[in-house]
Amino acid sequence: MTDIVVKERPTPGTPRPYQFPPFERRQLANGLNVLVVDLPGRPLLSAQLVFRSGAADEPADQAGATVLAARALSEGTKFRDAIELTENAERWGASLHAEAGWDAVTAGVAVSAARLLPALELLAEMVLEPAFPEAEVDRLRDERLNDLLQAKADPRRRAEEEFALSIYRGSPYGRPMGGTRETVAGLNRDRVEGAWARWFDPARTTLVIGGSLAGLDVHHIASTLFGAWDRHPRAVVPGDISADSAVESRFVRVVHRPGAVQTEIRIGHPGAARRIPDFHAVSVMSAILGGLFNSRMNMKLREEKGYTYGASAGFDLRRSAGPFGTRAAVNTEVTVPAVQDMLAELDRIRDGLVSRDELNAARDFLVGIFPLRFETPGAVVGALGGLVSMGLPDDELNLYRPAIEAVSAEQVLTAARAHIQPERSAIVLVGDADAFGADLEAAGLGPITIQRDDAGRTQEPGAADAAD
Amino acid sequence: MSDVHVPFTDERLPNGLRLIIAEDHLAPVAAVNVWYNVGSKHEQPGKTGFAHLFEHVMFQGSANVGKAEHIALIQAAGGSMNGTTWLDRTNYFETMPSHQLELALWLEADRMGTLLAALSQENLDNQRAVVKNEKRWSYDNRPYGSWSEKIQEYLYPEGHPYHHTTIGSMEDLDAASLEDVGQFFRTWYAPNNAVLSVVGDVDPAEVRRWVDHYFGAIPANASFPQLGDLSLPPTIGGEIRETVTDNVPLPRIYWGFRSPAFGDPRLDALDLAGQILSGGKGSRLHRRLVRKERLAQDVSFFSMGFVGGASITAGWATVRPGVDLAVVEAAYWEELELLTREPVTADELQRAKALIESDELGALQRTEERADRLSMYATLFDDPDMINRMLDRYLSVTAEQIQAVAADVLRPDNRVVLTYVPKVAPPDGDAQDVPGEAGSDDKQVVA
Repeated sequence: MTDIVVKERPTPGTPRPYQFPPFERRQLANGLNVLVVDLPGRPLLSAQLVFRSGAADEPADQAGATVLAARALSEGTKFRDAIELTENAERWGASLHAEAGWDAVTAGVAVSAARLLPALELLAEMVLEPAFPEAEVDRLRDERLNDLLQAKADPRRRAEEEFALSIYRGSPYGRPMGGTRETVAGLNRDRVEGAWARWFDPARTTLVIGGSLAGLDVHHIASTLFGAWDRHPRAVVPGDISADSAVESRFVRVVHRPGAVQTEIRIGHPGAARRIPDFHAVSVMSAILGGLFNSRMNMKLREEKGYTYGASAGFDLRRSAGPFGTRAAVNTEVTVPAVQDMLAELDRIRDGLVSRDELNAARDFLVGIFPLRFETPGAVVGALGGLVSMGLPDDELNLYRPAIEAVSAEQVLTAARAHIQPERSAIVLVGDADAFGADLEAAGLGPITIQRDDAGRTQEPGAADAAD
Repeated sequence: MSDVHVPFTDERLPNGLRLIIAEDHLAPVAAVNVWYNVGSKHEQPGKTGFAHLFEHVMFQGSANVGKAEHIALIQAAGGSMNGTTWLDRTNYFETMPSHQLELALWLEADRMGTLLAALSQENLDNQRAVVKNEKRWSYDNRPYGSWSEKIQEYLYPEGHPYHHTTIGSMEDLDAASLEDVGQFFRTWYAPNNAVLSVVGDVDPAEVRRWVDHYFGAIPANASFPQLGDLSLPPTIGGEIRETVTDNVPLPRIYWGFRSPAFGDPRLDALDLAGQILSGGKGSRLHRRLVRKERLAQDVSFFSMGFVGGASITAGWATVRPGVDLAVVEAAYWEELELLTREPVTADELQRAKALIESDELGALQRTEERADRLSMYATLFDDPDMINRMLDRYLSVTAEQIQAVAADVLRPDNRVVLTYVPKVAPPDGDAQDVPGEAGSDDKQVVA
């Protein structure tokens, strides 16, 4: 039966030379940076404004204001209401969008080349002249409060929220990006407008446009639409973001969901910032530990044990240290052995050099997949926007592949020891504590607290009852 | 009329493998996409979930590839891959840097020809456990997670191949044996039951040489079991209601309708209706239920096309705290009814078409998506050129056609209404008028 196929494996051909699409940068008199990247043959253009101030930069008592302000941008302008704005964009086949992240707010549009100008006119009107109608802001706030209720019922979202809350002390990263029930309840039109004013500064904003741009004078369009924009008097230059760990030594926090058939597991601590000297070593290390399908975590928990549909580990690299976490959803009965396996892999990546095969597979994957990530204008523009929001140099993306190729096994080990701390990890479990509580205590992983699940109730979860 | 133009060639190897090649050198990317004409609709009673379990086994190695090595080789080559199972088909795909195309072809050929050489009880048991965790993750441990299973069961009668979901039942997964896996492979996995699309930065002559070299000696199957007549009456013939008590904070109302089969132009009109009803801020349901009357947290309305007899058209509204469920249901229904009574406006239709056009252009910019669509149209309709005509079909839909299909589909005697209500008192504690409040999981058929 086996002679019907060819035994010998093919060898790769010659790679086609690739470099990240070159882009042109110009600056308008008001400080706005304009990045233009021509991608011939890509008729659906992407345009994105990146405002370099995000949810991590808002006052703690107004948490959620930035996310709400970004959502409220499309609720109408000084010249037309939300419906008119939306309908106008739709007539051009364009969807306007605006989102807040931890580090930046972005607003953009995807549209065919022939319709770029009218679509950009609407984008400019949306970000420069928003009306923030009180009734609509109130509605969006109420929708966010309802969404927080929904999040409590969803084991995945519940686990992520509890994990962030558990690992940070006094950091904005410890709260949900959209704010908590307490802070969101206090948001109103003025606070939303205040959040918008904080990021409203052309000198801290970049417009990125990519796609098939033949015959379009994009710089001229940009200066016509955005050249007269002035900084808001209440605009703020973001400061440092604290990312202190709340995990002095390992502890276990359980959110008890009676009858849950799976346990959502999160183990980790504050990780690393994006701008670190060993970024490329961290990328390779993280791919081996929990990024690739054949990563140590996934091979152990899924392909060997069958505990889960997928196990991963990775860093959320932000302007300051976002979380490092390993994650899996496992069937309830194997909760404790799964946690032990995950901790063992965290130890092992710090204990010795990765193998030559592991190193090659991870480097070759990251290098090889790089061009595949940038097939469409949306992806290219998004990558440039990410570069800008982190304040990285223009040649960062071109240096990526050689830098990954140069990472050694020793550097992987150094990165693991620098950035992964199993002894200073929080273990967060969302699942049926009645089913695994005794095993958990016997395992001696650290002090345990158990919190009752209140999905479906209006109140915040009741006081946690200590079970250790 | 539209800007879509994907040139391709379409041929068959002597063993029946259909090969479609679409050359395009914009990016140094090549996509390989294999559709096997077997899905959960081909499963026998007592063996639900089998097509999908089998898809997992396809990553466990073959004669010349070790367990999990398929994925390791693809990723180390800088590629991405996956496989998916659906009611009508199973597909496997790789997106590669173009100089690594040959590897992906070799891997697909090795498992098409020799999967059973590597099959072991240990691998089967392992993937059975993985799939059961996939079911827990995707359905059982998810708020409102049972809705699609329920809608499918109500819209397709017992015995119809679409009556059960692709994930199947835990009991049937437990019962799957090595012999079942072998039988499934021998029955369905053959070159003359597959379409192989190769798209992107490729040399067609070289692709033909490779495909011939790697796939050419895999024998065809003499025949495949035929599905019986999948046709169904156009409606379910009476309203079906169920109230489900779940671990959810906000009630949600789901709708399900039996609708025309995939490929029927009336389903195109229903897709336009979906855009007009729930596609963004300017849409009817969003405008009324979310913005104006503030009855719902979110709304949705969409169709899932299937070729055998009937498709599913569905929707939902998540009820805001303190709002009467009956009011939300009535408002949603009024919007559906309006669609059956009056043609949509010219402006609504033009906006919906413009958005669909942008979506299509965006999707077809991706090599992987072009490969998937070519395989899909070839497998389901024997017509890969539909990739170049689908957008024009959408752009030619008229307001009258939308009204007509709405009148056929969005009828009280063709609807399933699932109402999810919280286990504990809903927020704000207001007494609510819950249909069928008597108990959980009560089913009733209202003729």
